[in-house]
Amino acid sequence: MNKMNGILKVVMAGTLALSLAACGANNGNNEGTNTGTNAGTDNGGGKKEDITITFQNIYPDPTDPKNGMIKKIVAQYEKDHPGVKIELDSLNTDQQKVKLKTQAASREVPDITIVNPAAQMKPFVDAKLFAPLNDMVAENGLKDTFQEGILDFYSFDDNLYALPDGNNIGLVYYNKELFDQAGVKVPTTFEEMVQVVKDLKAKGIQPMAIGEKDTWTGSFLFMNVLLRTNGPGFLQEVIDGKKTFEDPAFTEAVDAFQSLIQAGAFQEGATSFDYNAGENLFKTGKAAMYYMGSWATGGIETSSVNGKVGVFKFPTVNGKGDVNEFMLAPGSAFAISADSKHLEETKDFLNYFMLNFPKEAFEVKGAVGLAQKVEGDFKAAGYSDMAMEVLGMFKDVKGGDLAFDNTMNPGTAQGHLTSIQNLFVQKMESAKVSKEHQSAYDSNK
Amino acid sequence: MSQSIGAGAIKPQARVRGKGRWGIGKIASYILFGVLLVTQLYPLLWLAIYSLKSNEEILAGRFFALPASPQWVNFTNAVESGNYFKYLYNSLFVTTITMVGVLLLASLVSFAISRFRWKYGPAVMLVFLIGMMIPMQATLLPLMLIFKNINILNTHASIILPYIAFQTPIAVFILSGFMRTIPHEIEESAVVDGAGVFRIFWNIILPVSVPPMMTVCILTFINIWNEYILASTFISSEALKTLPFGVNSFVSQYSVNYGAIGAFLVLGALPVIIIYFLLADKITKGMVAGAVKG
Amino acid sequence: MNVLKVSKFTIALFVLPCLLLYVLLVFVPIIVSMYSGLLEWNGIGESTFVGLANFKTMFFDDAVFWPSVRRTLMFAVFSMAEIPVVLFIAILLNRYVKKPNFLVSSYFLPIILSVVIIGQLWKTIYNPASMGGMLNQVLEAIGLGSWTQAWLTDPSIAMYSLYFVALWQYFGYHLLIQFTGIQNIPADVYEAAKIDGADGLKADWYITFPMNIPIFKISIVLAFIGSLQAFDLTMVMTGGGPAHATDLISTHMYNMSFLSMKYGYGSAIAAFLVLVCLVATFIINFIFGRVERKYT
Repeated sequence: MNKMNGILKVVMAGTLALSLAACGANNGNNEGTNTGTNAGTDNGGGKKEDITITFQNIYPDPTDPKNGMIKKIVAQYEKDHPGVKIELDSLNTDQQKVKLKTQAASREVPDITIVNPAAQMKPFVDAKLFAPLNDMVAENGLKDTFQEGILDFYSFDDNLYALPDGNNIGLVYYNKELFDQAGVKVPTTFEEMVQVVKDLKAKGIQPMAIGEKDTWTGSFLFMNVLLRTNGPGFLQEVIDGKKTFEDPAFTEAVDAFQSLIQAGAFQEGATSFDYNAGENLFKTGKAAMYYMGSWATGGIETSSVNGKVGVFKFPTVNGKGDVNEFMLAPGSAFAISADSKHLEETKDFLNYFMLNFPKEAFEVKGAVGLAQKVEGDFKAAGYSDMAMEVLGMFKDVKGGDLAFDNTMNPGTAQGHLTSIQNLFVQKMESAKVSKEHQSAYDSNK
Repeated sequence: MSQSIGAGAIKPQARVRGKGRWGIGKIASYILFGVLLVTQLYPLLWLAIYSLKSNEEILAGRFFALPASPQWVNFTNAVESGNYFKYLYNSLFVTTITMVGVLLLASLVSFAISRFRWKYGPAVMLVFLIGMMIPMQATLLPLMLIFKNINILNTHASIILPYIAFQTPIAVFILSGFMRTIPHEIEESAVVDGAGVFRIFWNIILPVSVPPMMTVCILTFINIWNEYILASTFISSEALKTLPFGVNSFVSQYSVNYGAIGAFLVLGALPVIIIYFLLADKITKGMVAGAVKG
Repeated sequence: MNVLKVSKFTIALFVLPCLLLYVLLVFVPIIVSMYSGLLEWNGIGESTFVGLANFKTMFFDDAVFWPSVRRTLMFAVFSMAEIPVVLFIAILLNRYVKKPNFLVSSYFLPIILSVVIIGQLWKTIYNPASMGGMLNQVLEAIGLGSWTQAWLTDPSIAMYSLYFVALWQYFGYHLLIQFTGIQNIPADVYEAAKIDGADGLKADWYITFPMNIPIFKISIVLAFIGSLQAFDLTMVMTGGGPAHATDLISTHMYNMSFLSMKYGYGSAIAAFLVLVCLVATFIINFIFGRVERKYT
């Protein structure tokens, strides 16, 4: 081999090294910052005490007021605490779930992350990935800002592990104009509701909208039927071994739910509509009723049907149930990594964040369905009549049930979601639906 | 037909047969081409219209509907809120490095597999063939562990390295297939002239291999440009995020800003389409000299 | 016979950088992943070694698994069946169009659009007529109202609707590859054939097909890989629904690993997928090996 060889070897090696160096070039100060968060702290000329807190969240949309609100609180905190940088890792909900699970497997959980309540966060707590927040929530009276009992959904063995951003209930929105057109009244029983569906249908009005591609949507409604036929706590009774899915209350709920579907309540092709497309039918005045969590209030207020919409409580089924028992939807919640390198600072920040959360949310008209008590005159702040109605309903809440996937393990929940989605495309024997549920439960115990 | 054509040595002309005669076959073909042109190009027009619609208009799902009033705000949102320029820069950076990396590494290996006299060539080839079909998502969790341990999480390296690694099998497959067809006389005479193996690689083989490298570039580009799962898992810093983050940033828990997504996609596709059409002649011409006898 | 005799060091220099990166980031992870397939593990907490139990469940007790395998393989078959059609169109293009580059480039465009937007587009095409779905409206308008379908929500049809979108999207991609392959065949070969009396279709049969086989193989391999890994499109358009009717191996794996939180089980599915890939790689190479030998 000749000289050329050697030179080329050097060049090759150099190119390789360069291209690898280039990969790393954009990363600023890499060492010494905390878990999974080593980027771009160029500001301040690389002061040594600077710390970065990674705040993984599900509010990525800059055109959504919540995103602006978070940025505002963060900016204020950074201003008050020079040397602390909050790095927002904003992802959409699905992607955040995958990312957190992947991170959890290698104990790389970001300083602050988002989890769902109860059964959904339990595996993380069991793996000791989250830091208890008992001491933190006691500071600055943060605990007292939360509504009574809401924190229980995020506590395990007397330790609190996450702070919720919301607390919602399931209810039915309806379009008053379309109801008038069809000459129907707000139903007080499920049977009336089915009749209303038929009457609306007869007038050529789409009775209800649903985004059943997302599967939890139908489940949420179904669980409300079950809450009526059985009363609260059915799933817990199954878990405790006191009942099975073959229980009459369950089959009755399946039958009732199917009678609604068979009456033609939902739009054609509902299972290919995602949440947004489904909701949009209601928001554009193309559907008369919409069953959803109260978080939908904000979106409906800013849509074209604003002012024409009222709400009613989910009616009794076959005369059973109490309309003041609601489907409860404690929101996604902020948790702190047990492995955070800046545990104290992170706790301090989250404390500050949650204290300011309700105030800021109130201002961007996002205070309906918060987990915290909100001070302020909603009416004077320009909240709509519908929002006031929803707020009024919160006062009537006398307990209820959590969504299926917040109560049952993930495997059973997936089985349930599929089984319910299937009812939208074909009629099934309720006994068969029961059996599907029971076998999903048995194989996932 | 066992002639082994030195791929670079020939300059094939596009054959023109049947041109000028308007037979039934030709007319039918033109109708077919026209229909295909409409079905394949219409999405672009549709996307352009889509990007000017309001959310409600988009969700209404009416295929032929035009926006009541063009929502230019979608574009402002995409550029300002979606961090378009920063993400575009990152995407270009990541994609370019990946392409260069894939080409360099894969052509080195392909050269070794196809031209060296050594025992393990076929074995190495086999190892690459096996990996060709492994889905990237299946390796998410182990990769996370590896990157944690070599401390490159949340850097561009944490996506560039797996991108390169996952693209090399198909690149080696195509490049080595091509290089095998280059006549051996070429390096025989080069060896006689006293050229070393690196000079043969760099001055003789690489220039001839430009066409299949184009193919590799395009394949790599297609697979990387819209990749989101790996990127979203390994990258957390705003400053490092790529274009798919921008698209997905308009998806929140209970709302999706479809108009802004459309605008963002128009902006994301625009530079690509411009570059592509500017280079289209070169790309096809380059590939023309290309990979026969792969 | 390869002529270059080089030192071990040189070989290492050429091969190792790529091989190491590849083995470390593709091979090792997939083996780790396969090992996880032997665990009962939610991906977060403690894991228990359960041997082949996951595979047993997968093969015998999972009602979703085999149908999703069948759909995935069907997907692969359709994708590969598209290639001959594409080749035929490429031949027509080459024969009848003077400056085909614009057409080829245009056909190629759908592939660079994000799946998010492709999904949205086709939903507006497939929607029920009452929701503005283009296809059904057109069918009604031309008096074929009885042909209208719930394209994405009828479990017996939905999967075919998805196949079609994928075929449409990848049409230009394969056309580009095939077209360049054909263009590459030197003109003098055809000149020679013409003297022997082979022209038009005959020339294509005796020259274009055999000489294009390697390129054809590239497309087939790419089509196969693409369909086994197809994931995004299904997720965007149907999410695997209704009731698993459009689940593929890849979406099933994803659901199990990340939604049902059975990471061990999901890994077992991944291992199966890798196995299918391996077998397929060998089959494809074997078939093409024979075909190539026959023609060369």
